[in-house]
Amino acid sequence: MAKKNELQNINFPLLVSVILIVVIGILMIYSTGFDPIDKLNNGLYKKQMVWFGIGFVLMMTVALINYRLMGDYSLYIYIGILFILVLTTIFGTPVRSARAWINFGFFSIQPSEFMKLGYIILMAKFLEIRERDIQNFRELMIPSLITIIPVFIIYMQPDFGTAMIFIPIFFTMLFLGGADVSQIGSIISIAAIGLLLPMILTYTEWVGQGNEDLNPIISFFKGSDLLFIIAGALLMIAIVAFVLHFFFIKKIYRKIYIPSMVFSMGLFLSVFIQHFLKDYQKKRILVFLNPTLDPHGSGYNVIQSKIAIGSGGFIGKGFLHGTQSQLGFLPEKTTDFIFSVVAEEWGLLGSTILIALFAVIIFKGIQIAFEASDKFGMLLASGITTMFFFHMIINIGMTLGIMPVTGLPLTFVSYGGSNLVMSLIAVGILLNIHMRKTIR
Amino acid sequence: MRQYASIRTKMLEAFRRRMYFFMAMVLIVFTMFLAQLFYLQVVKYEEYSLRSRSNMESNIPIPASRGEIYDRNFSLTEDNPVIASNRSSFNITTIPANFDDDALLEQTIKKLSRLLQFDYQSIIDQIKNSNPWDRFVIKEDVEFDKIVKIASYENLFPNIDWGDAPVRVYKHDNMFAHAIGYIGSINRDEYGNLKNAGYKHYQKIGKTGIEKEYDMLLRGVDGYVRRIVDVKNRMEGEEIGQHPVSGNNIVLTIDYEVQKTAYEAMAQRKGSVVVLKPATGEILCLLSKPDYDPNQIISKDNAAILEELYKDKDKPFLNRAIQSRYPPASTFKLVTTISALEEEKWDPERKLYCPGKYTLQGYIDRDFYCYSVHGSLDMRHAIGKSCSVYFYQLGYSIGPTIILKYANYFGLNNKTGIDIPGEIDGFIPSKKWKLKTFGQPWFDGDTLNLSIGQGFIAVTNIGMANLVSGIVNEGVLYKPHLVKSIRSNNNQGIISSHTPEKLKEVPLSQTTLNVVKQGMRIAVKNGTAARLGYIKVPICGKTGTAQTRSRRKDDASQHAWFVGFAPYDGKPEDSVVVVVMVEYGIAGAVSAVPVAEAVFNKLYRLGYF
Repeated sequence: MAKKNELQNINFPLLVSVILIVVIGILMIYSTGFDPIDKLNNGLYKKQMVWFGIGFVLMMTVALINYRLMGDYSLYIYIGILFILVLTTIFGTPVRSARAWINFGFFSIQPSEFMKLGYIILMAKFLEIRERDIQNFRELMIPSLITIIPVFIIYMQPDFGTAMIFIPIFFTMLFLGGADVSQIGSIISIAAIGLLLPMILTYTEWVGQGNEDLNPIISFFKGSDLLFIIAGALLMIAIVAFVLHFFFIKKIYRKIYIPSMVFSMGLFLSVFIQHFLKDYQKKRILVFLNPTLDPHGSGYNVIQSKIAIGSGGFIGKGFLHGTQSQLGFLPEKTTDFIFSVVAEEWGLLGSTILIALFAVIIFKGIQIAFEASDKFGMLLASGITTMFFFHMIINIGMTLGIMPVTGLPLTFVSYGGSNLVMSLIAVGILLNIHMRKTIR
Repeated sequence: MRQYASIRTKMLEAFRRRMYFFMAMVLIVFTMFLAQLFYLQVVKYEEYSLRSRSNMESNIPIPASRGEIYDRNFSLTEDNPVIASNRSSFNITTIPANFDDDALLEQTIKKLSRLLQFDYQSIIDQIKNSNPWDRFVIKEDVEFDKIVKIASYENLFPNIDWGDAPVRVYKHDNMFAHAIGYIGSINRDEYGNLKNAGYKHYQKIGKTGIEKEYDMLLRGVDGYVRRIVDVKNRMEGEEIGQHPVSGNNIVLTIDYEVQKTAYEAMAQRKGSVVVLKPATGEILCLLSKPDYDPNQIISKDNAAILEELYKDKDKPFLNRAIQSRYPPASTFKLVTTISALEEEKWDPERKLYCPGKYTLQGYIDRDFYCYSVHGSLDMRHAIGKSCSVYFYQLGYSIGPTIILKYANYFGLNNKTGIDIPGEIDGFIPSKKWKLKTFGQPWFDGDTLNLSIGQGFIAVTNIGMANLVSGIVNEGVLYKPHLVKSIRSNNNQGIISSHTPEKLKEVPLSQTTLNVVKQGMRIAVKNGTAARLGYIKVPICGKTGTAQTRSRRKDDASQHAWFVGFAPYDGKPEDSVVVVVMVEYGIAGAVSAVPVAEAVFNKLYRLGYF
């Protein structure tokens, strides 16, 4: 239990910003729940208020339990949540074809949200323990595994957006945990090559539909044989170079085997993704790059979101007066596109204030990481901050049309109990680390 | 331990360095967001504001009320006899693109077709062939109770709108069919030509007659209701975006009473009647028979009627007053007379003998007959009795050139320029034309035929009316017209009034005019139009009976003409010209004169003389 002087050390700017953002969120959920024709509210805002109450209590509770204890139990927390996640993925109630929720009748919980937190705690703990060995490439095996397991399970639900949020958190935590930049760079390169190639193919195939000239090129690559041969050849070169390096230890061999290994892995991954990623998922990424490709699908959402934001102007259309959201032109307005509602009803002024509040949270998080009394605290605080940050940029970026449509909630604002409660617990941890910064 | 501490410090420093890197990234992202927000909400505000409005606003046109049409006796204080007006009604429209999928569209139209009883298949085909973003009129002239039904089951009829759509009413049915014309949906060609003039594809446009000629003035400006709708096109509210502006009203030169008299007098005859005031060109009556009922043409179930009318061999759509040419026959003797007196100093007192025929001597002698044996008569009596032999000799003597010259002077080869569309030229032959067309020179026989208005020459009724006007007006021809004035939609203001437009002036001497008028007077007093003699106003007239060949056996093989004016000795301003033309009539005196009789009687009773 925390001592009295620890509670006095509570980080008020952080706490107040969080409360303000949640209140803005509830107001917006009230606004979006209002039907201007039937003059009725769907009452979702009340549910969100209940979740806020629960989350607030949990936040304060978590703030008072020493976070180091979490470090000690991090593996159990991780495995426990993972277990529930697997059960949900197998037995969960499908909502919009995704088995991501456990239904308790009057409310339901999304374990994948809590998985994020469990994952960050375990990663922080692991990186603390392996602080000195993390530069070694083999040490990356375990954090990769810790990442890939939940990503894969959540992807199978399927919840593409939530699965993908682990990736930037993973790399950022590795980076902050002291991993070798060239190693991280290699992994990112592999992923980039692996992703980019199928994208280009899908694009050519989709846009060039009916274009006879492109058909031979598409079938040439689609057969995957060629990519496989190239990847195999590069792998052989890499192995030979590696063996040579093993015997003669010359820098030149290292310069050969690392890039060829990276390319080879990237190509293998691209062949894998070509078969693994569903067509609509590939298209979704393409539509982000060029929304006019699909003005009725996810491109429609972005166009309507930009209309909502742009038509808000400087001071906005006023609370409850956003036509794009009130009249239903803006899709997913209570969850994914709630930022657009803020920008429409409260204009540049309101949306800038909201972003400023987020900035307070993130910079306070960074400050807490700086001042943390131990490496675990630093990594945990920076991991949580990273999570907040990436949720924010992916969500707001999506509504602004500068990020792909992924279906991630805007932390603290979007309607949804699990995300709110998880995020408040995460804030509790930040407060916790802050309160114990003086203990060395 | 010290070594451990130094490693720790180094690592802490590395962590902080990397943390700064992360902070830089955060800062860049925040800056990007604010920049993008500024770009969308300030720089592009106008564009997105407009797009948000067009998302939620659905503008439904309110058709303007078309201008009314009155007869010449319009006055502000009295209850005026309206010739064309409007009655209120509703139409059902939709924008097909608002339907999420074709199935819903088809389903909705099917339900509507059962409620409103229209042919589902033809409407759905039309919708599919139209631009889906354009408002499509599903049904016009829908009863109010049907609208109430659709309104109360809004969820059954998504995206279906309704609005006012006044229906045109032609009060006197057939009587003004050719003069006023009728309106109809704008067709592709008309739309293509007129969209820059503000016409919309769903609007009505005048198709013939006054309705067409003065469409721009009659149509007014449509208004619109601005409806705020949600994404499912459910209505949230509405307001008038722009009030419609009714079209201007038109006061005709036509006198309803005269038109009615002519209409009744013509009865089942085929042909046309033109009555006009020579001093101004104001038309008091413009009638063509057979006719049609414009109310049926614009009605919602007009298909059968249209088909029947189009198939009718009598061509009821043809405006015989301005769109048909006939040989003028004896009425043309007026031109022959004028040219002889003007150019050849022909002595009107000179008597010629009519034995009933005239023999043209040549390689083979040919006989040209008169309908009677007139004996010896002078020019005035030759006109009055319509003696052809007199005119054969006259024509032979003066030659065709000057006759044709005067026919052209009077504009018989041209349109008169009447202010309704579709008028055709008359036809005056020439030597050159004959050589070109038949490869033959002009024969003397052609001259003889020409001098009594037979042969190649063909004129319109309105053309003849203008010729007679020229005689009354001492050579001055005015453009005949149907519109007296155009009034503002509340009738308070006069937008424009017609001023007589001089077409041409034919130099005519007083003697010439006197001879012609006296000849025409004789025709009425004891000549071919003697039937008109009893009427109190002194009438001048000339009958004509054109030999023709009908394709149909049961038709008489003659066209009957009467041209005339009254009073004989009046000033042009007080005169009225009457021209009656009856297709396949018996003879001018038999078929056309009784119609003229009724008209003159009416004119007299109305106080025109």
